[in-house]
Parts: sequence; C-alpha cells; structure tokens
Amino acid sequence: MTTQLPPGMHIETVDEKIMTLNVGPQHPGSGHMRLIIKVDGDYIVSCDPDPGYVHRGEEKMAEYRNYIQNIPHLERPVIHDSSNILYPYCLGVEELLGIEVPERAKYIRVIAAELNRCIYILYWLAIYGIFLGHSTMFMWPAGDRELFIDLLEAMSGARVTHAYLVPGGVRNDLPSNFEERCLRQVAYFEKRLKEYEAIFYQNPLLKARTEGSGILSRTDAIRLGTTGSVLRASGVDFDVRKKEPYDVYENLDFQTIVMKEGDSYARSRVPYLEMFESCRIIKDALKKMPKSGSVRTKLKPNPKGGNDEVYRRVESGRGAIGYYIVSNNRPEPYRVKISVGSFRNLICMPYLLKGEKLGNMPAVYWGLNYWPVEADR
Amino acid sequence: MSNVIGIIRALNSGVKHLAVKRFTLRYPEQKLKFVGDGFQYNPEIGVGIAGLRGRHILFHENCTGCQLCSVACEGIAEAISMVKVAETWKHNKKAIMPQIDYGKCVFCGLCVDACPFYALYMTNDYELSSFTKSALIYTPAQLAIKPKISQDVEIKISDRGASHG
Repeated sequence: MTTQLPPGMHIETVDEKIMTLNVGPQHPGSGHMRLIIKVDGDYIVSCDPDPGYVHRGEEKMAEYRNYIQNIPHLERPVIHDSSNILYPYCLGVEELLGIEVPERAKYIRVIAAELNRCIYILYWLAIYGIFLGHSTMFMWPAGDRELFIDLLEAMSGARVTHAYLVPGGVRNDLPSNFEERCLRQVAYFEKRLKEYEAIFYQNPLLKARTEGSGILSRTDAIRLGTTGSVLRASGVDFDVRKKEPYDVYENLDFQTIVMKEGDSYARSRVPYLEMFESCRIIKDALKKMPKSGSVRTKLKPNPKGGNDEVYRRVESGRGAIGYYIVSNNRPEPYRVKISVGSFRNLICMPYLLKGEKLGNMPAVYWGLNYWPVEADR
Repeated sequence: MSNVIGIIRALNSGVKHLAVKRFTLRYPEQKLKFVGDGFQYNPEIGVGIAGLRGRHILFHENCTGCQLCSVACEGIAEAISMVKVAETWKHNKKAIMPQIDYGKCVFCGLCVDACPFYALYMTNDYELSSFTKSALIYTPAQLAIKPKISQDVEIKISDRGASHG
C-alpha cells in the first residue's frame, strides 16, 4: 500500500539498534517541552529539542496594551524572576518616553532584581537537586526561598508576580524597618548557603554524576551564542551588569563568577556562587541608597512614545534578557520583541548530549538553566 | 577514601538539622504577619504605600463611578465591571460602582493606582477560595466590608536557625 504524504513529511527509517525516546512534553522532568532523543543502548546518539508547547503570544499581546497595562503581562513568562524580566522593559520605555528615574528608585530596583535573582536560582537549584535524586537539596532551597519571598512581599505586596518595577521607578516606597529586616535575613541566608557546600557541591555522588559530563568548550559557548551562567561556566567573563552597567550597578561592589571547566558541575556551581554576589550587592545597595526621596516619576495618563526604537538588556538568572521596543506616536508600542537567555541556551543541547549516558540527561538539561515558558514567550 | 569522607561530611551536615526547629509555619492555625493594612495609593504624589495586595476594599463615600479602575483592568484581567447600586450619593450621579471577579483578578493592583479619589484600596485578606464560581464575584456591598484578620506570626532568626515560632 502506498500512501501519499503531505509535502515536507517523510517516513523515518528505523534502525535496529537505535531507539527514539520522547522526553516530555508532559513534564517528566523536562518542563513543558520535548526532547526527541535517539539512544543506542544507554548512550545518546542524537538529541532534537522541540520547544513551543507553551507559546502564549506575549509579544503580540503587548501591541494592544498601553505601556502600563503591559506590566502584568510581560512578567508572566518567568513569574519566578518577574522583576528581572520587567527590568529591560522599564529601561526601554523610560528611554522612549524620556523619563528620568529618581536615584532612590534605582537602588530599590537593583535590590528587587537581586532578591528576585536569588529566588529564581533557589527555585532552579531545588529542581536541579530533586532531578539528580537529592531530595534534601529540594527541601532546603525551597524553604530558604521563603526568606526572599517574604522580603519581596513586604516590598511589593505580592509573593510571586510582583509587578513592582514600572517605567519611571517603582510602584511604592520600601516599608519602614525594611533595611534592618533585609540585612538580618540576608546575613542568615549567607550562613545557610555555606551549608549547601558540604551536602551538595562537595558531595562525591553529585561530582561523580556531573563532573566531566556535557562539556561545552569556550569557543563553542561563544560560537553557539549562549548567555548567562552557561557562558560563564565555560570560562567567558561576560556579565551585562559589569559590561553594560544599567541603573546603579557601576557603583556597587561585586564580582563576575567565572569557571573554566564548562561541564555540568561548573554550570550548576556558577549560579550558586552568584547568590553570594547577589547578597553582597543587596547589602552594598542598602548602604549606599539615599535614605529618603521620591521613588516614582509621575507619568501622564496614557503616555505616547515618539517614532523611535530602543533595545535594552539586563542580566537575569538565566542570562541576558533584551527588549526591542518600537513605538509610533501611539499609547501602545508598535512592536515588542523579547530576546531571552533560555532560548539561546537551548541550542547547545544537541551538542552537549551527544555521546552522553541517558542517565546524565537531567544533569545536562537542568544545568542549562532552561525555562520553557520563558523561551516560548 | 576521599569519597567516603565526602559522603560522611554530607550526611553530617544533614544530621545537624535534626535538632533544629522547623522553618515552616502551621498555616491555618498560624498566619504570617504583613506590613501595614494592604496596598494603598496616594494619587497626589503618584506613589503607592507598601502592603499586601489582597482583596480590595471599596469606600462607597469616596467612589464617584468614574470607571477608571475598570478601564485600567480592561487590558489586564477584565475582572472589574461597573454595576448599579441602590444607594444615592451626590458625587455618584450614575450610581455605579466596581464589582470584582476574583476568578479573573491577578492582584496586580493597577486599579488602585488608577483611582484618583482614595476609594479603592487593597487589604491583607487573601483567603478567597469558594466552592462556586459565582461566589468569587464580589459586589460593591461585599467589597465595602473591612476583613477580619488575625495575622501575627513573624519569622524569628537566632544562632540556631530561623523559625516561625
């Protein structure tokens, strides 16, 4: 029997030794995306990532809403890192509308972004731990994350979707005694973070699974266009906060974490070490912040941007997030394009998984810091 | 040998926590204390006042039926609709006030930012679950009621760890 196939489709020839496995998209540890993996015994022959299951059209939706109404929508792709995904949008719209941001608001935004980065990394670390079979490493970060959620809740009023950053500053000023509370909780968290070292990062069981697996060389990391912790774990010293400082990052004291190995272990360790730097930034920002003053520049109702376009990017928990915004004399943007770190890190999956054991797949996959909802937008 | 030492160290750091007080709080009996009485907004300076963004509270004596909250919600959640009320206020000729559907509300608080008459604020009440969808729609009369809340547990941090008492 011969069947007529639609153009572009073909019947796959099946090899006797090669088996095709679908990891996902029903979320067995892959997120809402699918990895089409071909295995020869226990070894991966090829891997084809298939994203797009949670595409929600955030970019198109942004064209029908004004600059303020876009705020709750544009933080939806990564609700765990909602301050960081809104940050470049606010920077871009400020440039389009020509708004000056008060000095105190800049510091508050940096504190919110760093608290949110810790929330994201802890959430990621919890999942990374549980998928490597380390249930304590799920409980601890998920519990310690509450410290930062409580702080951001006091700041912004919401636990996860903060909608706190707006073009022109922040929604509201810090509550009273926030500084003292923040310093106390961050100091406790730093002490707690050191305990992760013995139970997880120096654990020989983790090292056996992750060291030397999924090696991404420095040249490959640059060639494939990866960003964020994946790029820094391969020995490239690139951090948007250092290289193109926005708001007040140039006044603050912190370092870029770089590791040379480029394996799964380095990719899991770089975000962990970055949390120490985030704590340093928070403490430094609280010290250098002006103690009083305005936190939000009042906008006109329905502000209009000129005939202009702007691209701004920031460093998020998963790499650089860039917003390209075009306006055409209307209260709504003409085009909003979001360039996210997750999607750009996904490209190295076929290269990293080739020749790996199937059991190492979760370590490599989660080490890439991939967030399906953000990548699909 | 170094592997064995590493595993013992890892176990040891976990075992230490057997003697530490638990971090979580017993939710229905204990409730976390929040800052202030909920999110509020000062339209004169255009800056909000920090607080939890929970259920709204509507001050009937201030609401003019201007629909700005409804317009602000239009592109976000479409949770606010203006409904007729039986009361007569001099400043509210149309006699309409917001009705909020909490099945749709995302608690972004931009309706509070939009209100120029100090009529719509948010409160610390976040326990809004119900058995029917229609019970999630709060009429202006329901929104006027000040919630009764007893949230008093705070995080305690000591040398031995953090707990909620």
